[in-house]
Amino acid sequence: MSELDVRGLPPPEPFENIMRALPALPVGATLRVLLHREPFPLYAELQDMGYAWQTSALPDGHFAILIRHAK
Amino acid sequence: MSSLSTEQAPPISVPLRFFAVAPLFLILAALIAMMGDSIADAHTPALLAATHCITLGFIGMIMFGAMQQILPVVIGSPMPSSRPVAWFSLLPLIFGTLSLSGGFLLSNSALLHLASLLLGLAFLVFIVASLVSLARAAARNATATAILLAVVALSAAVALGIVLAQGYASGLQLDYQKLASAHISLALGGWVMLLIVGVSYQVVPMFQLTPNYPKWLSAGLAPALFAALLLSLASNFFEVLPLGFVAEGLFWLCASCFALVTLNLQFQRRRRVTDATLNFFRLGMISLLCAALCAVAALLAPAHEYFRTLSVVIFILGFALSVIHGMLYKIIPFLVWFHLFRGGVKKGVPNMKEVIPEPWMWQHLWLHIATLLAALLAFFWNAAAWLLILGLSLQGMLLSFAIFTGIMVYRRTYQRLAKI
Repeated sequence: MSELDVRGLPPPEPFENIMRALPALPVGATLRVLLHREPFPLYAELQDMGYAWQTSALPDGHFAILIRHAK
Repeated sequence: MSSLSTEQAPPISVPLRFFAVAPLFLILAALIAMMGDSIADAHTPALLAATHCITLGFIGMIMFGAMQQILPVVIGSPMPSSRPVAWFSLLPLIFGTLSLSGGFLLSNSALLHLASLLLGLAFLVFIVASLVSLARAAARNATATAILLAVVALSAAVALGIVLAQGYASGLQLDYQKLASAHISLALGGWVMLLIVGVSYQVVPMFQLTPNYPKWLSAGLAPALFAALLLSLASNFFEVLPLGFVAEGLFWLCASCFALVTLNLQFQRRRRVTDATLNFFRLGMISLLCAALCAVAALLAPAHEYFRTLSVVIFILGFALSVIHGMLYKIIPFLVWFHLFRGGVKKGVPNMKEVIPEPWMWQHLWLHIATLLAALLAFFWNAAAWLLILGLSLQGMLLSFAIFTGIMVYRRTYQRLAKI
């Protein structure tokens, strides 16, 4: 599983970095993104691009999002 | 978490139409204030009209637009039917504010009745749409709680405002001082304060790259502010003065705590670059502390009525306006970038820093500080009121120009890249 840490970056850099990383994600693989806040606007973009995701809140207040191609 | 609707954000035209209109009310407020006698007496018709141009026409207008944009981003739930909600809240808010100001200035009952109807409609549409959005929210966080309490306070403030306007228009025998005091407390201490608190929990760490607000504060502050406000209102209504004294003291203690924690978080930000928007926010927090000091002075020395008025002036011009300017200068570039990206423009989207030139923001900050100082000076020296009027007009013009620039950057980029 590849990981992308965008915690602490100013908007819209987290969004841009995730968009840059997604085309390189092979089908069946998962990208784990670490963010300092829950990125609600990202979800609409992921849905349009055909990705599935799962968000979990981490104990330190940050968020981890697992992204993969939707089947 | 993977079942959110495809189109979360409203079209960019929804928030921008509110932002485009709002600065014009700052200019109108300045023009109307020219007819007033003294800033220290806020009850003259001209100052009542000018104050409502600022609170309804500017602050209310910006908050209506910002809420439509911010709700999907911070709690994951857009307002329903964004375009009809925008039109049915924007137009009655514009004409309702104009009618109310005209009604105060001309002591015209028909205009005050019309204002009650129009403003009642604008706020009803906005409040119902906000409650639907909150009920559907994916996130049950401290921001959602603070916004819910802010909307509850707004509903009560609007109801009292309508009672007051109807009372003036129909010449009813009401306890105007008590009702007006509750109206101001709910509108400023409830709606404005709680909304800024709730939105700051998200916007300060997100845009200013600070650590998150501590959990003890974000979980408890908005309910504590709301409870202190209710207790203070009930105590004043039933004239239980010692309890009212303690409740109002608690409210300002909580507000000061918010200001100090925010300043401390800003001190710990990850990137040490200082920009104008950060300084607008800092000015807002320092003003909130000053408003609290004046309010406590008014409690301790009730004979000195000007402390109370001073607190309200600093709260509106120093706290609310500074934070709103700071947020607008972040939100507008973000909106332009985000909607160009969502609109299918993947390459050539301007950097957020290129949308509104930073030097303008700094000039606006200095102008805003000068306007605030003029407002304070006007309490002791009448001629300074002219500097305040000039400052407000220039701020309205500068903000209009900045928002217009943001809109033009969006339109030009969209049209240029759509052709490629």
